[in-house]
Amino acid sequence: MKSIWNNYKTDNAYDELMCSEFQSRSVSHHLCQYLDSLKKEDIDKRKIAAELAIIEMGISFTVYSEEGNIDRAWPFDIIPRTIDAKEWRIIEKGLKQRLTALNLFISDVYGEQAFIKAGKMPAEIITSSKNFRKECIGVKPRHNVWANICGTDLVRDKDGIMYVLEDNLRVPSGVSYMLENRVITKRVFPELLQDIDVLPIDDYPTHLLDMLSSIAPNQTDKCTCAVLTPGIYNSAYFEHAYLAQQIGAQLVEGNDLVVNDDNCVYMRTIKGLEKIDVIYRRIDDDFLDPEVFRPDSTLGVRGLMRAWKAGNVALANAPGAGVADDKVVYAYVPEMIRYYLNEEPILPNVPTYLCSNPDELAYVLEHLAELVVKPANESGGYGMLVGPHATLKEVEEFRKIIQKDPRNYIAQPTLSISTAPTLCKGKLEPRHIDLRPFILQGEKTFVTAGGLTRVALKKGSLVVNSSQGGGSKDTWIINMGGS
Amino acid sequence: MLSRSAERLYWLARYLERTENIARLVNVHMNLLMDLPKGVEMGWRQLILINASQEEFAQKYTIANERNITRFLLADNTYSGSLISSLSAARENIRTTRELLPDEAWEQVNEMYLFAKKNLDTVSNRRQRVLFLNEILRSCQRFTGLLSGYMSHNHPYRFIRLGRSIERADMTSRILDLASLLLSESRSEEVRQYEAILWMNILKALNALLMYRQQMHSRINGDDVLNFLLQDEDLPSSVGCCISVLLDCINKLPNNDDLPQTLIELQAYVKAIDTRQTTQKQLRGILDNLQNKLGDFHNKVADNWFLSI
Repeated sequence: MKSIWNNYKTDNAYDELMCSEFQSRSVSHHLCQYLDSLKKEDIDKRKIAAELAIIEMGISFTVYSEEGNIDRAWPFDIIPRTIDAKEWRIIEKGLKQRLTALNLFISDVYGEQAFIKAGKMPAEIITSSKNFRKECIGVKPRHNVWANICGTDLVRDKDGIMYVLEDNLRVPSGVSYMLENRVITKRVFPELLQDIDVLPIDDYPTHLLDMLSSIAPNQTDKCTCAVLTPGIYNSAYFEHAYLAQQIGAQLVEGNDLVVNDDNCVYMRTIKGLEKIDVIYRRIDDDFLDPEVFRPDSTLGVRGLMRAWKAGNVALANAPGAGVADDKVVYAYVPEMIRYYLNEEPILPNVPTYLCSNPDELAYVLEHLAELVVKPANESGGYGMLVGPHATLKEVEEFRKIIQKDPRNYIAQPTLSISTAPTLCKGKLEPRHIDLRPFILQGEKTFVTAGGLTRVALKKGSLVVNSSQGGGSKDTWIINMGGS
Repeated sequence: MLSRSAERLYWLARYLERTENIARLVNVHMNLLMDLPKGVEMGWRQLILINASQEEFAQKYTIANERNITRFLLADNTYSGSLISSLSAARENIRTTRELLPDEAWEQVNEMYLFAKKNLDTVSNRRQRVLFLNEILRSCQRFTGLLSGYMSHNHPYRFIRLGRSIERADMTSRILDLASLLLSESRSEEVRQYEAILWMNILKALNALLMYRQQMHSRINGDDVLNFLLQDEDLPSSVGCCISVLLDCINKLPNNDDLPQTLIELQAYVKAIDTRQTTQKQLRGILDNLQNKLGDFHNKVADNWFLSI
């Protein structure tokens, strides 16, 4: 029998399942043994079953391209990624610590700016940030929390240490895929999930609803929640509809809502206008309210900012929360944790060079071919340079781009991000992965057990974004027993 | 409930009902043609007449044969009245309202759509077509069963029933319209010979044959079938029953204004039809009128509850 593990090379990176070509890690031992016992035909059958389930469940995302928008089935790799629960408990603590500090920072930025006054960060970083919204100055959201839903990207380097790569505080997506991945895995490997103690994840919608209720302006009545979507052409529309369904909220588009003279938000219903208390908005700040932000926005709701500032509606995430979702601000998060919480950061940052700082800019320009350079404000893996994978010409072009607008760029060493066995043409091959756990903060803080593992399906590629040929895996946090 | 959602659920139900109706119609017609002797002036063209789409068909095809007509009615996605167009429209509507329905509802419709899309090319073959249509019919029934078994009978459910019942009443009246056309005086003796078979197939097209036998205890004749399909109060596909369902839903919806009154009048109109006292020509006029009244009612529903921006 030819094993699907044949010639599995762990390369140069940390492999999440294997310590060497032949030896599995203790956390993945049971899983690897099981995979070993499967014939190639068996595993092919399961892969096909998973693909069929994805199509039938209609799990899709939309890719923007020149030929128009295309609905694509969600690319999923059936081999789960494993993490020991003991390690996870530390990561979870680190994520809570980080989001708590970030929210204190955002409150501070729109309040007294003590962090800046204490000399911890130059004021220009805030004033020059695209995501700083002066309209939010002085607003105090409930519990002082601005970023209620956060997706934090983690990567593991060669040294085995998990680093925080970025904090997504605007409208992070992916949680529905995390939930659906588990549903599919339960169909594909039912026998395995029975034998291995994998932490459940399907309580996420309950926690999401609890969090949204906890930020409602009026805590006495039953609250009416809505998920505000840009509509069917948005790449994450599937997720918006899915989450609305899971938490029993209304899925609304901008023209379903209206703000009246009383500065309250209403939706147009069959009974007439009905008041809304909490909006989980999946529209960027820019498009939220044509009265305040982009006047040409047809996706938003005229007057929404008025209603929010009057305290008549809660918005999650709060407008302006994106000020901390900036790769320059990112570099200061460890200092925020020390400053606001008087604690040492549990999760390390990836060392970051700020091009706005002349010394660091000089270093970056000198070592461009070794570094990863990213724009401060983009998401989705667009507009970045991976030095070691770029041609000389690309490097030189990027050099000019950075010099033109240094504030907008940061650089980091090219990490050798970890790999996990991934099914490629009937054989297991290592592919690079990251992890996006989701953190909810309202009255309480909650972290998903694991998160969305994204995988770069192309051999050697480090780009995991679904819009650029990435896929995903189920993530298993495994209780190994003992303390 | 959002006005937008009310509108989408209403259309979801209409399109799914239409999908089911087309499937049953083609299926029954195929069986009917197998029963009738060669040379009887009855063919596939009747199906085009029911849907009032003679012109559109003529623009696309030159010959009205089985192959072209079934392709047109089932698989032509440029014809808005085809099965695949209805099913795609149903899918688009449920995609944007899935948060209001039981979990499996979206998967049901999505699966049916994927099945149809994958098997569209098989419909030109008679045997394959039977399999195709049966699967579609089963899927539609599963969906209806799923909702009636697991969905709260709330406002969203009422808009689904509204859509389904209007579409159903409309289809029943169209089928009766065609039957009276076929049996009008101008037809030959030969067709009349097969009248009973024809009426039986009309009942089958509305899935009502068995219920008819239980109710009427008589051999099949035209007047009884017409009465049964227009006025019976218990048969879900009878026009009268559809109107009762509409009235039931409307009475429980907020801001219903003068809609109950409109329906009560419509109910009286249907009850007053006496098929024994009307000529075929008069009957066709009555049925035509009925379809217009249903169209007016739809407009009132839209004005009252749907999003108008």
